Amino acid sequence: MNSSQNQTTTTARTGATAAAVATGTAGADPDLLLDVRGLRTQFRTHEGVVRAVNDVSFSVRPGQILGIVGESGSGKSVTARSILRMVRPPGEIAAGEVRYRGTDLLTLGEKEMRDLRGREIAMVFQDPQSALNPVMTVGDQIAEALVVHGTDKKAARERARELLGQVGIPDVERRLDDYPHQFSGGMRQRVVIAVALASKPSLLLADEPTTALDVTIQAQILRLLGQLRDELGIAVVMITHDMGVVAEMCDEVVVMYGGRVMERGPVDVIFNSPQLPYTADLLAAMPRLDDIAEGRSLPAIPGSPPDPANLPPGCPFQPRCRMAVDICAQQVPDLLPRAEPGHSAACHVTQHGERIPPLVTEAASARVRSGEARPLLQITDLRVDVNNDSGGLFRRPDPVYAVDGVSLTVSSGETLGLVGESGCGKSTLARTIVGINQPASGTIQVGDQVVGGKSGGDAVRRTVQYVFQDPYASLNPRRTIRQSLDEALAVRGVPTRERDAEARALLARVGLADRHLDRYPQAFSGGQRQRVGIARALAADPKLLVLDEPVSALDVSIQAQIINLLESLRDELDLGYLFIAHDLSVVRHLSDRVVVMYLGAFVEMGDAEAVYNSPQHPYTAALLASSPIPDTAERNRERIVLGGDLPSPKNPPSGCRFRTRCPIGPLVHADRTICIEQPPPLVPTGTGQLAACHFAGELSRAGAPA
Amino acid sequence: MTKALPVPGSPSDGAPVPAVEDTAQQVPPAGRSRRPRGGGAWSRYASALRTPKGMAAAVLLVLLVAVAVLAPVIFPGGYDQQARGALQGPSGGHWLGTDEFGRDILVRTVYGLRTDLSLILTAVPVSLVIGTLLGLSGYLSKPLGAVTQRILDIILGFPGLILGIMIVLVIGTGWLALFMAIVIAGLPGFGRMARGGLLSEQQREYVLAARVLGVKRSTIMVRHILPNVVDPLLVQASVFMVVAIFIEAGLSIVGLGINPPNPSLGAMLNVGARYVQSLPSYVIGPGAVLLLLALAFTLLSDALNQAATRR
Repeated sequence: MNSSQNQTTTTARTGATAAAVATGTAGADPDLLLDVRGLRTQFRTHEGVVRAVNDVSFSVRPGQILGIVGESGSGKSVTARSILRMVRPPGEIAAGEVRYRGTDLLTLGEKEMRDLRGREIAMVFQDPQSALNPVMTVGDQIAEALVVHGTDKKAARERARELLGQVGIPDVERRLDDYPHQFSGGMRQRVVIAVALASKPSLLLADEPTTALDVTIQAQILRLLGQLRDELGIAVVMITHDMGVVAEMCDEVVVMYGGRVMERGPVDVIFNSPQLPYTADLLAAMPRLDDIAEGRSLPAIPGSPPDPANLPPGCPFQPRCRMAVDICAQQVPDLLPRAEPGHSAACHVTQHGERIPPLVTEAASARVRSGEARPLLQITDLRVDVNNDSGGLFRRPDPVYAVDGVSLTVSSGETLGLVGESGCGKSTLARTIVGINQPASGTIQVGDQVVGGKSGGDAVRRTVQYVFQDPYASLNPRRTIRQSLDEALAVRGVPTRERDAEARALLARVGLADRHLDRYPQAFSGGQRQRVGIARALAADPKLLVLDEPVSALDVSIQAQIINLLESLRDELDLGYLFIAHDLSVVRHLSDRVVVMYLGAFVEMGDAEAVYNSPQHPYTAALLASSPIPDTAERNRERIVLGGDLPSPKNPPSGCRFRTRCPIGPLVHADRTICIEQPPPLVPTGTGQLAACHFAGELSRAGAPA
Repeated sequence: MTKALPVPGSPSDGAPVPAVEDTAQQVPPAGRSRRPRGGGAWSRYASALRTPKGMAAAVLLVLLVAVAVLAPVIFPGGYDQQARGALQGPSGGHWLGTDEFGRDILVRTVYGLRTDLSLILTAVPVSLVIGTLLGLSGYLSKPLGAVTQRILDIILGFPGLILGIMIVLVIGTGWLALFMAIVIAGLPGFGRMARGGLLSEQQREYVLAARVLGVKRSTIMVRHILPNVVDPLLVQASVFMVVAIFIEAGLSIVGLGINPPNPSLGAMLNVGARYVQSLPSYVIGPGAVLLLLALAFTLLSDALNQAATRR
């Protein structure tokens, strides 16, 4: 691998000029599978030409996994589409060359190109739901990919069977004639990969292949992609925003920012000695399972990723860079080779040997704890039926308990982290607390008032507020920020003439400025909108905030900012938080206690320290092991990859709900019939937390750092 | 974690990077053309009229309405004045000729347009309002909404002509019967569309956010739901104007429209069809006006639709 890395760097410096095209063939490296040079893709819009991909060069060797990592607007997806020439107007490839086995794809005719797509280079899309045709069986869809390239139908079907087995779909014979909706999300992504593999391509372009999936399913798919590389020698270009996925999977990394390649090199070099302040800060700012910022705020990158239509002059990262000097704002830095073989970076500052100092973190603001913590929210044996209004006039639907008998307490100044995969009922629980859903049984007590039916609603609203996951959907696009805040202030009973001052104070509190007041939500970035959402919740002067995945729709570099904001608000205002996430690493920094939810019930609950360091329930252990860790030293750790998918809450398994996927349950130990017969109670374990498992503590977090 | 929307405007995230923050303020002139600012519903509808289609529709409509309104001024003699010869061909005195009673066809066409416009411009808005209210009734209570929808389904089950005949049987022929027929025929369309909007808006996170804050239900309806439901309804109203014209024409053609001697475009087509070989201008005149009217509203609905969905 090392011998050819040097060759990579020599081709790296070729620019997007006519000269490069002329000399390109001479300098081509026969070992390279894909060699992209000086690629520039632009979009002609009303506001002028937007350069989404600007002078991008990289190469892939056979059997290699290359990660292209970047935030929204960095141009990573457009790069992938440009390789296959699938950029739709008004987008166009303006310059550069894409050499596949020495042939420049940009000069091929449309027919040759069509022949090449799928046969030589295949693509896997982010959303398996929309990538499959809902009215064709999966067998036919895989066969179609083959028939298009000239296989006869019978052989195609045979190969479809073989492929589904290869991507790990159980019971292939029967499932071949199933339709996509009969598969779960993870299984669908496997089918999409099977379609891509149909004609034995040499290169797979995977555009965020696991972003729409849960962590345990993500681990399955990543493992599958790794196996395909090992067994079939397929090269993979993996496009992702997740540094953790890159650290686990990739051999080489390309870091994109503002449409440019900013850093490129072998994965361990990028992770251990990045030469770009952006890469270094991004790695430092990622929420981690082994949170190192005890008692301090998270290291955060200020600002947000640039709009490709409005790039800053010079280095695109310069406005957010803590090391920026004068030249950074004037001149775009060149991608130059660095000391390590195969490593190059585009930075004016570090190219002269300057070292990147570690990101300074501020000491977290002192926590105001008003005397002893009062319990703000107490939930006892709550069940929520989510199917009660789906019936018609004459039909009473069967109940579906998305939340099935859970109890919890949140006190003032405390954060309870609630973690679970999609469909486990965490959002339903949150929405029931604030009165959007109605409980079927059990009690919700806020302060010392029991909320029941419609009467107690106001008491809840005064003390409990909700922050939504999607900052794009939770603000009315027709109303200015001032109007949205005024509405909340009016409900609280603030007189009209005091609302202006009050709204300004709220914006200042969440780190926005007065001039933002009269703008519409469209004028804000995702992180700013989430700040507005938090300000609106604070306007009601709550004691408790229910945070429903408040950072999971945001770019990685923004997440730390919002988590820090939430932390300082909690400490200054003595708020209680119920912080919901699908990923254990996100809640790690803020949480005092953690609850893990599976299929409507709690499986583990306890102090954050205890749960993270010695998980007692096998599901918690698997979640911890499945979270990708942005550290290459961790890539060979022992992982627990759960098989199967979340069962439907319509028809939960008898006994222990987790038994159908449990690595220590009756699937493995046939004698453990107790798991099938008796639901385990949530009881204290030896390590201080509660766990609902008959064999608690048997499977702890394997191979994890202490 | 990826975001579907490109984010125009401020590139910074509120944290202390003042240098970039203000670049946002230089963007708006360009930004505005691509994405109309949220609040200005009126300005968005106005922008629909500034497109070529919208402009053509507006000019055509203003022209037709002006002619209809000014009919008594242009033709002070009224639509009943009889000339000497019946069924005369076009001439200098009678540009479209005369009908079976020797009345000027052009004059009657203009007065007929007046009748039609007075019908659809009152009946369609009434239908829009009632239909929308019926559609939104599910906001008050779920069963009420379900029952209303079933009633609208029943109306939808009757073809327009049968519906018109039933109304005529009850209240007799005339302007009022046509008015009622158009109002009732429009209810299912408006009602279902409003209900669809209601159901999707109720699940919007900003509506849920207002509920969690404790905003009054009526305020949520007026402030958050209604403005977002109105867009498609206005387009539908414009489309239904064309349908209404043909309901009038259809009922008149079978003789259930406006009572003679009052002219309407449909009634004239009905009678004129008998003389189509000897006097083609009898149908060409009202037919052409009918088509112009339909064209105007079709263009208008197209323009409104584009303006409403361009967000």
